[in-house]
Amino acid sequence: EDKEEGQEVAQQWEDDWDDDDVNDDFSLQLRKELESNAEKN
Amino acid sequence: IETVRDFEEFPKRDKVTYMYYTGRLDVFNENFSAADHKLSYALTHCNPQSEANIRMILKYLIPVKLSIGILPQDCLLQKYNLVEYRNVVLALRRGDLRLLRTALEEHEDRFLRSGVYLVLEKLELQVYQRLLKKIYIIQKQRDPSRAHQMKLEVIVRALKWLKIDMDLDEVECIVAILIYKNLVKGYFAHKSKVVVLSKQDPFPKLNGKPVSS
Repeated sequence: EDKEEGQEVAQQWEDDWDDDDVNDDFSLQLRKELESNAEKN
Repeated sequence: IETVRDFEEFPKRDKVTYMYYTGRLDVFNENFSAADHKLSYALTHCNPQSEANIRMILKYLIPVKLSIGILPQDCLLQKYNLVEYRNVVLALRRGDLRLLRTALEEHEDRFLRSGVYLVLEKLELQVYQRLLKKIYIIQKQRDPSRAHQMKLEVIVRALKWLKIDMDLDEVECIVAILIYKNLVKGYFAHKSKVVVLSKQDPFPKLNGKPVSS
């Protein structure tokens, strides 16, 4: 059972996090920033 | 050191200790694949009752994993009180260069003492990659036909929004490094100050491998 818990800790990693999602707050603000500037040009 | 006996013959606790210390050496020598292997071994085989030991291993394994593009889940950071990594992880997810810099500054003492500061500083390239990727996706949603042409000016603007002042030449230099390290696939149209991104997989993932040097 030792091994199980060790394994559990070893499994708490994400290798597929780099998604195409741009709906988080940071991305939405970035979009706003880029679009407001694009309009000026 | 040449091993006289087979590694497997040693007691478990000695194997874990050996892997922990040689793994740490690999972190300082920036052999991230070897460090990942050894520290992961230590983590899987150490006494699961000893939270202090797990924490010691994670202190080095987390920067190694980040360097090869793998993120720890938040519960791991919380459980072992490694919250100093929280904003570093968030910066990578967002592509938020400013957050990475402030997170490193905030915990500078701790990161310098454990010796992982330089490793974490190098995450900047991955954060730049993520930021460029976000700009690319946003452009693509607006105008799919021209999204693979990214004006350096646009990157300058995004950085300025993050309160990071860089001129066109500096940004061109960063993008050149990203291309050289295979974090971005594309080429420059130098005169028009545009990066032309590859239509196929312009932002290759690390997939558990270190950034090429």
